[in-house]
Amino acid sequence: MQLENLTKIYGEAETKVTALDDVSFSVKKGEFVLIVGRSGSGKSTLLNMIGLLDKPTRGSVSIDGFATTNLTDNEISAFRNKKLGFVFQFANLLADLTVLENVLLPSQIPLDPSIPFANAKKILEKVGLEDQLYKRANKISGGQAQRAAIARGLVNNPTIVLADEPTGNLDSVTAQNIVQLMKKMAKELNQTFIVVTHERRQFGDVDRIITVKDGHVFEGEHVEQMEVTI
Amino acid sequence: MDYRFNLAKRMLFNKRGSLIGAVLAVSIGILVINVNFVIFQGIYDAIIRDMSDYRFGDIYVYNDESSTIEKSDIVFINWFERMPNVEAATPRLEGSATAETRILGQAHEKFNVPVLGVDPISDIRTSRIHETVGEGQYVYSRNSIVVGESVASDLGGCSQDGFFMSGGTDPTVTGGKAISECQPVRVGDSVKLIITDQWGIDQKKRFVVTGISGTAGGQGFDRSVIIHIDTLRDMLDRSGESRSIMVRLQESTNAYEAAQIKNQFLAAFPNDNLKAETIEESAESTLSGFRSGIAMINLIGYFGMGSSAFAILTIQMMLVNSKTREIGIMRAIGARRKDILIIFIMQGMIIGAMGAGAGTALGLGYTTYAKITNMEFQGSLALEVNYNWQKIGETAFLAFILAMIASIYPSYRATKKQPVEAMRSV
Repeated sequence: MQLENLTKIYGEAETKVTALDDVSFSVKKGEFVLIVGRSGSGKSTLLNMIGLLDKPTRGSVSIDGFATTNLTDNEISAFRNKKLGFVFQFANLLADLTVLENVLLPSQIPLDPSIPFANAKKILEKVGLEDQLYKRANKISGGQAQRAAIARGLVNNPTIVLADEPTGNLDSVTAQNIVQLMKKMAKELNQTFIVVTHERRQFGDVDRIITVKDGHVFEGEHVEQMEVTI
Repeated sequence: MDYRFNLAKRMLFNKRGSLIGAVLAVSIGILVINVNFVIFQGIYDAIIRDMSDYRFGDIYVYNDESSTIEKSDIVFINWFERMPNVEAATPRLEGSATAETRILGQAHEKFNVPVLGVDPISDIRTSRIHETVGEGQYVYSRNSIVVGESVASDLGGCSQDGFFMSGGTDPTVTGGKAISECQPVRVGDSVKLIITDQWGIDQKKRFVVTGISGTAGGQGFDRSVIIHIDTLRDMLDRSGESRSIMVRLQESTNAYEAAQIKNQFLAAFPNDNLKAETIEESAESTLSGFRSGIAMINLIGYFGMGSSAFAILTIQMMLVNSKTREIGIMRAIGARRKDILIIFIMQGMIIGAMGAGAGTALGLGYTTYAKITNMEFQGSLALEVNYNWQKIGETAFLAFILAMIASIYPSYRATKKQPVEAMRSV
């Protein structure tokens, strides 16, 4: 994945806020990348840009060598579906569906029957939810919901899994389990993970850390950030 | 199953209150139209039925230029009864008379009444007026008379100090006498008719009341008297003449075949100045105003259905608002705007289908109840209830389409939500 001169400006004139300022970096396949920074530093905005959930004011995002700048809304949706997996802070499962249906959903959106049902079950087994397949998503615990969300993020074999504060809503023991699960999946599947967090310590050793401060990114852990997290 | 349908169904069924509200809105709209149809179309059809049964038959023949048909009715009746779809035909003659009653030996009441002359043998096969004789029996001899219920009442009176008081059975006319003290003309009483013949000479004849005729809604001959056609011919000095020929077709005969028989008849007798009408044509002038009324009432029903569409629109807007976060999630994991649109339009279709089903079932239930119980209102004529499958289908289909259309705007609103903003919604 390649970001080039990515800039995001909200508002105009006096209300103008530069959330990201000329950000450029790349991520290699299989890397487990942490994006850290203070609240309001621009890390969620950065993740939204990478996830094509928001459009940059300037600059470009390329994934798998494919520039996404000029894609139409439908093409962006298809791109998100095939190339990106999402894990959100509150799991964001659809309460009306079962765990299995939630995990199957990304593979059903292209209306492509070729993706096997068994794939979803296999991933749910990997995340330890094999006995929760047919439970309604709002009937499982927060930790289980986040596991299901990880499974949903992985089901289409995406190029990158983007996780926005995936442990932010969990107790410390469950959060640790979720971190271990993501690391395990990254290793087993050679899956790229980009994780936004302000709980740096929960993640221990990772391949790479990017710090966001005032809309700028820095390679490695910024001292000020460490002071905040210690 | 398409995941969009599955999702639409689950989202809807997990909001039972909204689902029930929306389905009720649709089904009540359909029920109102069905009830309107049963009542007003039922009254309309009942009037046609009674006009056909008592007065016009399925085909009604009369002289276009003269008050009577001078040629012998036997010629026409034989022609009609040779046709394969004709059940029977009968001549009728009409006139007016002054009726006098004598009760307890006293001359009692005098009225002008319309007189209908019937051939009792063929009339029983052609019309159903004989079935309206609730007391006594139909005309069976040349001196028997069937008196309409209203005429019987008007010719009756109330007792006062051993004497009869004229003024019918209406206590407001007879000085506040209780109805129990008054009595109408009854079977066995005698009635004298004075009829002015075609030469202006009064002809008098005394008749014995053999029956009292009454119909629900007064569509029959409640305000007339019925006598033998030959007696009336004699009194009018119109031997062999008739006012009209009433023709009854077999039940399986449709309106097109009736029109064909009518046309064949007119072609067979081109020089007799005859006019023939099917029942639809005979009833046209009577029912044209009523039809406008039905159209107006149906319009109110369709306005009701329009209100149901607004109810669905409101409920769907609430559903979309309550599912904002889900829409954001769907968009984030790759659903296109079109997919979101389809999900919510499918919800409208589910509401429409369920509402149309429930409303049609309720409507059919009401129709069946009306048919089984021969529904009538306050002693008026019994509704003629029919299952109009085309109308039932059209109403259900219209309700379904309206529910779907009402879902388009909320669905469109749903597609406009940006994933990031939508997911922030709680």
